[in-house]
Amino acid sequence: MSTFDSDTVSEIHRQLHSHLPSEPALRVKALESLLVEKGLVDSRTMDAWVEAYSEEIGPRRGAHVIAKAWCDPEFKNRLMQDAPAAIDELGYLGNATAHLKVVENTARIHNLVVCTLCSCYPFSILGVAPNWYKTAAYRSRAVRDPRGVLAEFGEQIDASVEVRVWDSTAELRYLVMPQRPPGSDNLGEAELAALVTRNSMVGTQRDLAINAGQGE
Amino acid sequence: MDGMHDLGGREGFGPIEVDEPEVAFHHDWEGRMWGMSKSTRQPDWTIDWWRHVRELIDPVDYLSRPYYDSWAQTQIAAFIDSGVFTLEEIVAGKSATAPLARTETMTTAEVIADSRSQASWYDRDIDQAAAFQVGDPVCAKQLSIRHHTRLPAYVRGKPGVIHAHHGAHVFADLSAQGIEQGQHLYSVVFAAGDLWLEAADNNDRVFVDLWESYLEPA
Repeated sequence: MSTFDSDTVSEIHRQLHSHLPSEPALRVKALESLLVEKGLVDSRTMDAWVEAYSEEIGPRRGAHVIAKAWCDPEFKNRLMQDAPAAIDELGYLGNATAHLKVVENTARIHNLVVCTLCSCYPFSILGVAPNWYKTAAYRSRAVRDPRGVLAEFGEQIDASVEVRVWDSTAELRYLVMPQRPPGSDNLGEAELAALVTRNSMVGTQRDLAINAGQGE
Repeated sequence: MDGMHDLGGREGFGPIEVDEPEVAFHHDWEGRMWGMSKSTRQPDWTIDWWRHVRELIDPVDYLSRPYYDSWAQTQIAAFIDSGVFTLEEIVAGKSATAPLARTETMTTAEVIADSRSQASWYDRDIDQAAAFQVGDPVCAKQLSIRHHTRLPAYVRGKPGVIHAHHGAHVFADLSAQGIEQGQHLYSVVFAAGDLWLEAADNNDRVFVDLWESYLEPA
C-alpha cells in the first residue's frame, strides 16, 4: 500500500540520491533486474513495448488522422466533436488519448501544445515525446514567449495571427491540425500523410510543404 | 505543490535544442525505462500520485538529471513507498524475497493490442451542478499549495474566461492523496497580456485546464 505521504517520499528520494549509482543506465538496470527477480516484469514484454513505440505507435498515426480529416469532411467532423472515438475507428486509441482534443490551425490562428507541470503528451497517436518537449526551456517558455519558441523552430508568425497555447494541466491531451499545404489538392490520403510532421501536430511547425516529407 | 516542476513562465532556461534527431529513444536505457513504466504498476498508484512522487525529487536533481532518469527514480521511490521492495534491495540490485508474482511474456502485436486497453477515462458523473458556464469571467485563486496540484503558479490570481466545460473529471489534488472524487473541469482562456507585462500589445492567448475549486467568479 502506498502512503500518499509527501514527507515519506522526500526522505526516500534523499536516500536514493545518496545510495544509488549516479549513472542512469545503472539505475535502470538495477530496477529491471530487481523487478524481474520479483516476477513483476518480463524483459521480453519490455522489449515488445520498446519495439511498439519505436515502430508502430508514433507520429505516423497522427499524420494518418490529419490526412484523413483533410480528405474526408465527415471524419473531420467526428474528429473535432469526439476525437477519442474518431481515432478509435483507426485503432489508435490508447495511452493518454481517452480525452483527446483536436485544435485546428487557420490563416488567423496558430496552436501550440505544452505541459508546463510535467510532460503530458498524446502517446498513442504521436508516440514518445521528443526531448525538447520535456525540457525546462520549452516548458517554461512556451506559455510566455511562444513566438520566440516558434522562431527557434524556424517559424516567424505574423502579428496578425493569434497564437493559442494549450497547457495540458488535466487529462485532456491536444493534437494540432495543421493547415493543408497549398498545391496539395491532387494528392491522396497516403501522400498527404507523408507531408505531416510530428512538430506540426505539436505546433512547433506551422507551414507544411508538398516537397518536404516527414522526418525533415 | 509549489515546487521546482512548476515551470510555466520561469526565465533563464535558454534556447531549445531544435535539431534533435527524430527517434523514439536516444539510449537503450531510455527504452528499458519506457518499457518498464508501461508494464509495471501497483494497484493503488494513481497518475497523480506518480506525478507527485516525481515532483518530490530534489529540485537540483529534477532540473539537472536526464528525463528518463527521473522516471527511474520515481518508479523506484514509489515501489519502496508501497513496500514492494526495500532501499537495500534496489541498492544491491538483488531481491531478498521469493518472486511476488508471475508475469506473462507478451509479443509486440499483443502489446500494441494491449495499448488500446491502456486508454484511461477520468470523467465521472457527479450530482453537483457546474458553478460556471462557458463565457463566464473567472479568476484563478491565489492559493499556496503544499500537496500535489495542477493549478500552475503563473495563472494564480489572474483573470480568465471559461472557454469550455468538460463535465466532472477525477480531481488531481485528491487523486494524488489516494482519494477519487469527481469535480467540474474547465478550459479557461487567459489573455497573454493578463499573464505577462511584455505581452500587453499582442492578442495571444493561453488555455489552461482547471478544476472548479481553483476558480472564483471574477
